[in-house]
Amino acid sequence: MSTLIQEVRQRGERLFERHGIPHTRLEHWKYTDIRRAIEPWLAEKADVSPGSGYEALPTDDVAFQGIDGLDAYRIRVLDGRVIEIPEALPEGVIVQPLARLLADDEARAARILNADEQASLFNGLVALNTARAQDGVVITVEAGIELARPILIQHMGHAQAAHICHALELGAQAHAMVIEHYETPEQTAGFTNVVSRVQLGSGSSLVHVRLQQESSARMHIGRLDVCQQRDSLLKSHVITLGAQTSRLDLVVNLNEAGASCELNGLYLTAGRQHADHHTVIEHRAPYCRSREEYRGILDGRSRAVFNGRVVVHEGAVGTDSEQRNANLLLSDRAEIDTKPELEIYNDDVRCAHGATVGQLDEAQLFYMKARGLDDSQARELLTFAFADEVLVRLDVSAVRRHIERLSFDKLPYAGDFDAMSLGLEESA
Amino acid sequence: MSVRPEELTAKQYDAGFVTDIEQETLPPGLNEDVIRHISAMKHEPAWLLEWRLEAFRHWQGMQEPHWAHVRYEPIDYQSISYYAAPKSRVNAPKSLDEVDPKLLETYEKLGIPLREQEMLAGVAVDAVFDSVSVATTFKEKLAEAGVIFCPISEAVQKHPDLVRKYLGSVVPQSDNFFAALNSAVFTDGSFVYVPKGVRCPMELSTYFRINASNTGQFERTLIIADEGAYVSYLEGCTAPMRDENQLHAAVVELIALDDAQIKYSTVQNWYPGDENGVGGIYNFVTKRGECRGARAKISWTQVETGSAITWKYPSCVLRGDDSVGEFYSVALTKMHQQADTGTKMIHLGKRTKSTIVSKGISAGHGQQSYRGLVRIGAHAHGARNHTQCDSLLIGDQCGAHTFPYVEVKNASAIVEHEATTSKIGEDQLFYCRARGVSEEDAVNMIVNGFCKDVFNELPMEFAVEANRLMEVSLEGAVG
Repeated sequence: MSTLIQEVRQRGERLFERHGIPHTRLEHWKYTDIRRAIEPWLAEKADVSPGSGYEALPTDDVAFQGIDGLDAYRIRVLDGRVIEIPEALPEGVIVQPLARLLADDEARAARILNADEQASLFNGLVALNTARAQDGVVITVEAGIELARPILIQHMGHAQAAHICHALELGAQAHAMVIEHYETPEQTAGFTNVVSRVQLGSGSSLVHVRLQQESSARMHIGRLDVCQQRDSLLKSHVITLGAQTSRLDLVVNLNEAGASCELNGLYLTAGRQHADHHTVIEHRAPYCRSREEYRGILDGRSRAVFNGRVVVHEGAVGTDSEQRNANLLLSDRAEIDTKPELEIYNDDVRCAHGATVGQLDEAQLFYMKARGLDDSQARELLTFAFADEVLVRLDVSAVRRHIERLSFDKLPYAGDFDAMSLGLEESA
Repeated sequence: MSVRPEELTAKQYDAGFVTDIEQETLPPGLNEDVIRHISAMKHEPAWLLEWRLEAFRHWQGMQEPHWAHVRYEPIDYQSISYYAAPKSRVNAPKSLDEVDPKLLETYEKLGIPLREQEMLAGVAVDAVFDSVSVATTFKEKLAEAGVIFCPISEAVQKHPDLVRKYLGSVVPQSDNFFAALNSAVFTDGSFVYVPKGVRCPMELSTYFRINASNTGQFERTLIIADEGAYVSYLEGCTAPMRDENQLHAAVVELIALDDAQIKYSTVQNWYPGDENGVGGIYNFVTKRGECRGARAKISWTQVETGSAITWKYPSCVLRGDDSVGEFYSVALTKMHQQADTGTKMIHLGKRTKSTIVSKGISAGHGQQSYRGLVRIGAHAHGARNHTQCDSLLIGDQCGAHTFPYVEVKNASAIVEHEATTSKIGEDQLFYCRARGVSEEDAVNMIVNGFCKDVFNELPMEFAVEANRLMEVSLEGAVG
């Protein structure tokens, strides 16, 4: 192994040793205690020697689900190793496994792997990712390239730890849609630790979908770091349905004037699931715009945490920011802890945020029942509508329909999605 | 836009003067002997001394908290003198005529002449000058109604059962670093007990003033409203100008039993430090009320314009079913002032309701944070909270921050949090200017409108004072 990569790995180990596993005495981990559950997955020392590229791992025992009716460039990741990349890509679009980059272009690989200790929400697990990530997908879309089809990254895993590091770079005026899809066979334990680092060139735009439906026995720790240049646009969709304990840190840096981001999120939890979403939007430049809406539906004895922080730095004049978090509790044993934060060091701003926790509106229920729906149907429809408010912003209908179906099936009602969506389509 | 923050920050502190009265002061430092000395000077019973010492032992094992969004030089707790009493205490005044004329003069400078107030306003004033209450009025009228309103040191002597029963029952000695310190060394404060079914016949009021150099002020206020009682309590403060930072770590405990109501209003205008951020009061206060009975109600209203650093979270523990908690706040930070303030609403009882309205105005280099917690317990069926917190920014050097914590463990709860941050709209200013209103008046109008929701909650006398305070504080904001 080259000394450069070795140094990066060692730095990662050192940082992990210093910061350790996040614990509940840290403000940003106040409500999420992962220490005991994570312990068994740390012991195993991952193989971090650079591979020759993507090699065929046995995939007989797992089945990638995919998204019906979606025509996408497909990448498959199994247990943290890239096992399939698309053959034919348009000119100006490069997809490489990180494992190959580690061998061929260590300077770039080192840059991708290296954790930034100063970044918002940095913690020991990010450092651990730097130390142990075996592979990942490195996507480059060159300036001016407009990708017509989305890139779909499918993740699948056995009962083991997977440290994955993705990178995505969009050149100036480039446009792309990337879907990160995480699934594991039901009942499979394991630990996913994934970091995605995104650079958006000036005038570029990215639609990023992150669909997490891992097994309810698994721990999922994710991080999405985005740096945006002038007039770039990020549209992010986060859908969290799976995992026993999941945590997502989403950090958006609006580094240059005119950049804007739209963050949409939906978390549906049941049983004893624990879903934690932390987002930070750093307004570092003038005239940037951010919109954020996260919605949650909680059932059983599940618990969800939302922490949305908007920071307006000195000099970020003309900032326009709005943030919403709405939660629906379906069970008396569910718990939501939400904290929308604003930190503003400038007077030329327009910022608003809000958080609500509540139940279905009695008047709306009554309206539905008066039109012949029984109580369960009325609740089902309204609960789904509550979730769908963030899903309708997904532009690609195949993706949207797929996620709507998954969300619907997760709700504690026995309704038929097709029957209901037919009705919706007819009325639309 | 011609709002100039530097002119706003140049506004001098009006109430800065030192009254020269002989002080009986302990040498600086804190140890068990100091606590024994304080206790002995106040002729306290043994249980209270033991209670203080227990708090002190807790405090010694505690770390000063630093999670608040404020910055300040480390405090040397051994350089503070923990007791200062005006000499005139030795011959306790029996009427206002016996009160040190200089003291009365001090109040007059602040525009609160005791005697006038006594006659005109019908307000009973328990004036706390540094640490010992020196003048208490309207005792008889209150006594007629059965209301006990006296310095807490007097209550310890005359009503030991009540004090022993309730002291520390809302804010325990080990609650936090500053509450533990206060429990160990508190020197005086007010005690109010309103008996069953009694509506307190007048607004109770205490004017606090920090006077002696280097004297941290450790007030302890305990207000108990028995079943069906009602009391409105007013607290207001100004402090003279000086350069050393002074620590103020008060504790206020409110207890409302079944159907009782307590309304606690504060206007705080302590010395905020000079335009370079030198000096000023450190105001680290623990205020908490507990609705212990069903249908009880506690309402906090505060106007915070002073202090170099404000760090306080008047809170409500809504234990009784159907109890109600309210928090209305206006906070102004200018020059180098920092404020980290907000509230906690802990919903434990069924159908408990709380309302939070917080208005923050930040100018100059001021830094202001709203930090609030709304917690709905697992058994608080049908609990309801609405939170509105807005910030107004004047100048590009100031900051306004919001840290609201919402924790809900019950599915039948409805919780809403809303916050906005913006500057004074240029279109609003233009509208006023086009109609011949001067820029300064326009800013005042807009700020007053912004604060109206809170000022409306203040008792009449305070609303006038608060309005004037905001105007004076914002003077020079435009030009």
